[in-house]
Amino acid sequence: MKIKIFGLVLALLTALVPLQTADAAETLNGAGASFPYPLYSAWAYAYQKATGVRVNYQSIGSGGGQRQIVERTVDFGASDDPVAPAQLKKDTLLQFPAVIGAITPVVNLPGVKDGQLRLDAEALCRIFLGEIKRWDDARLTAMNPGLKLPGKEITVIHRADGSGTTAIFTHYLSETCNAWKTKTGEGKAVQWPAGIGGKGNEGVANYVKRTSHSIGYVEFAYAKQNKLASVSLKNRAGNFVEPSFASFENAAETAGFDANKDFHAWLTNAPGKNAWPIAGATFILLAKEKIDVNKKTIQFFDWAFEQGDDTARKLVYVPLPPALKNKIRAYWKSKGLSP
Amino acid sequence: MAVPQKKDPLDRLFMIVTATAAISVIVILTGIFVVLLSESSLAISRFGFFRFLASTDWNPVTESFGAATAVFGTIVTTLIALLIAVPTAVGIAVFVTEIAPDFLKGPIGIAIELLAAIPSIIYGMWGLFTLAPLMAQHVEPFLQRTFGDLPIVGALFQGTPMGIDIFSASVILSIMIIPFTASIARDSFNLTPAVVKESAYGIGATKWEVVKSVVLPYSKLGVFGGVVLSLGRALGETMAVAFVLGNNHVITASLFDAASTITVTLANEFTEADSDIYLSSLFYLALVLFLLSFIILAIAKFVLLRAEKRYSR
Amino acid sequence: MTREQKRKIENIAALSLSSLAAAFGLFWLVFILGDVLVHGIGALTPELFLNDPAPPGIEGGGLRHAFLGQIMITFFATLIGVPVGVLGGTYLAEYARGTKLARVIGILADIMVSVPSIVIGTFIYALLVRPLGHFSGWAGSVALAVIMIPVVLRTTEDMLSLVPWTLREAAFALGAPHYKVIVQVVYRGAATGILTGVLLSIARVAGETAPLLFTSFNNNFFSTDMNGPMASLTVAVFQYAMGPFEEWHAQAWAASLIITLFILTVTIAGRAIVRWRYKS
Repeated sequence: MKIKIFGLVLALLTALVPLQTADAAETLNGAGASFPYPLYSAWAYAYQKATGVRVNYQSIGSGGGQRQIVERTVDFGASDDPVAPAQLKKDTLLQFPAVIGAITPVVNLPGVKDGQLRLDAEALCRIFLGEIKRWDDARLTAMNPGLKLPGKEITVIHRADGSGTTAIFTHYLSETCNAWKTKTGEGKAVQWPAGIGGKGNEGVANYVKRTSHSIGYVEFAYAKQNKLASVSLKNRAGNFVEPSFASFENAAETAGFDANKDFHAWLTNAPGKNAWPIAGATFILLAKEKIDVNKKTIQFFDWAFEQGDDTARKLVYVPLPPALKNKIRAYWKSKGLSP
Repeated sequence: MAVPQKKDPLDRLFMIVTATAAISVIVILTGIFVVLLSESSLAISRFGFFRFLASTDWNPVTESFGAATAVFGTIVTTLIALLIAVPTAVGIAVFVTEIAPDFLKGPIGIAIELLAAIPSIIYGMWGLFTLAPLMAQHVEPFLQRTFGDLPIVGALFQGTPMGIDIFSASVILSIMIIPFTASIARDSFNLTPAVVKESAYGIGATKWEVVKSVVLPYSKLGVFGGVVLSLGRALGETMAVAFVLGNNHVITASLFDAASTITVTLANEFTEADSDIYLSSLFYLALVLFLLSFIILAIAKFVLLRAEKRYSR
Repeated sequence: MTREQKRKIENIAALSLSSLAAAFGLFWLVFILGDVLVHGIGALTPELFLNDPAPPGIEGGGLRHAFLGQIMITFFATLIGVPVGVLGGTYLAEYARGTKLARVIGILADIMVSVPSIVIGTFIYALLVRPLGHFSGWAGSVALAVIMIPVVLRTTEDMLSLVPWTLREAAFALGAPHYKVIVQVVYRGAATGILTGVLLSIARVAGETAPLLFTSFNNNFFSTDMNGPMASLTVAVFQYAMGPFEEWHAQAWAASLIITLFILTVTIAGRAIVRWRYKS
């Protein structure tokens, strides 16, 4: 009886093998940043309809995207936290940007609508440091004379996982606020002085939605899809700007992407007059030696560069400018990859 | 026990196959220990053992890691959960075995066992969508009003009630282990010989006296075993707490603050860790949890076996 | 107050307290089940079973991929875990009965049942995922199998021990070798008990989430490839319930309802078999 069962198992296993190889050829497994997840999953959905190839992108966080591609457990990684060229070399990785997006602080304040609350970098920094504890703090009310801010404690919501969104956000805070730089520093995961942690942009959006008097930070698509109230931020030029396609594009214009540095670049605190201050590109990481897999991956992104701009705009991501796309194509070619 | 001495070669083969399967238990357990140990060797050599356990740092930026905050969260949530669950479970067991009318005993007993089978992720999700808002709007403000101003105890109830905190996580954990503990307690209660109970009733004892002086002493070992198993479950539970604990690496006095457990830290950060030392520290946390649950269960087993021996003598 | 009255009052107080405890415990549990039922039924749609997920914001996504993944991962976990558990239990109850080795393995198996499932996930990640270079359904199945083995092993051992030893001696007397006696006599006697153990262990692992996070991972597409990342209902519930999108929440409730119903059915089946077998 036992032997029969064992035989059955073997038969089943062998029966599955051809299935697997046929299947594996059509699937690309990617993982990483949750920041571009709404866009990548929309691209993948359309790409599968157009070509039959499945791009299974799992939103786990940029830390995960970097870790899993270094471990070679996925076909491509994604990260909003640009990896420095030296590190790429060490891990034999390639890197290129896929799209530009922006991070916006979001609040759940009864009576305060989208874009109404004004903050500058200093105030944002002190809130996330846990130093501004209440919404009716003088430093906030002074900036918002028209708003009635409640006398309630602020609940700070941050990321619990390794996150490129956090990397961009803390890069911005470190750049603009000395106290942040010395006390907390920047990175994909930091030791948060205050608040509660959600998993992924999804988790932060969910917690902000469910917790009144809270403030968190998410990629703009998450704010928009969930109708969370964004804030107006004071940018480097001294103007209060609202998160919008125009203000993101303005931030992206001044970015210097250099193929020789594997496009390593930050877009935070951009100098443009109407530039949104917390913008960032999101990057794709490839394992340099996996040529065949990489070809399939760049076919997907090449398709997305050609066909996916409208989807990106609809979700309020900024498509890469044509010149940059060509730079990236040349970069692929120089690495022995062409779509 | 006479077993034929003449060995059939097929019998030998069967014995070897079954022995291999049985020994796989030892192999797997040793394997877990060895793999976790070797994966965490980097962190062990960097942070040591006691320093790792004592350090409240969990700072990926400076690459300084310690287990204290996660161990704190694990132990606190587990203890509070047991504090709520064990009395309730014993109460349920008393109710089912002694108080409930006969036609209810069966159905309630079955209901409890079914509830013990509900997967923990259901508890977690329910906790986020249903319990957390209830906690934030009603239970926690009430507790804060009632106890918040008392000296010492008041410190437990400070902060903004958000429903995403140690308190909610512990309550969910306790709800999850109640049926599990209750069903073991009931089974142990049922082991009390009916004759002994009958004779106690016969000399005029009340129900409570029978429970207190006959059933409980008779079944205390079984109940103890059940409590330890529940403890093990609560220590290692991930999903029931992951939704509502708030994932913050701090040691806090207030039950209304977010915290973190070893399991939740692993769930959130394990696939995320970008540096080797970070990943190694996470493996180290897993090792600490493995040892913690192994040691607690081994001690409990030892106590139970000793006691059983004494009883059977 | 007389001693008699005091005893009576104490009795009533204690009994009321335990009735209250029972009511308290059952209240929560009814609350949870009711909630899952109400939300879950509202979200049950044909699309849930027929479609694969759509990106957030696009209507008509389903969880077909996760149903299939869950079934495959659990099925293969059972194929791996049950034989090992049954054979191991056989060894303890038959060949090693009463030996020190059997006692030690029995104790270790009891401890292994309580090893936190997420720790098993990290173990399999280090053992199977990283060396092979990809997350896979197989890794998920092995992780679940590791959880199943001690459960099945212990039940098998118990069930085989319930079969009277004299039955075996009768067969030995006829000159049958031990393995034949086990397969043809002992297994037959204990079959229903073992089956119950198997069913309960399936119920136990079918609801596991934590060990799958780092092993079978997740997949947005329908996939039968056990060598690649695979979706499962439980991980989908984790992802969807944590996420901010309303349609995700609805699907998470529906998936929870189905997992719960499945596990309750299997558990009831297991109990029913025991009752049916050992009552008559």
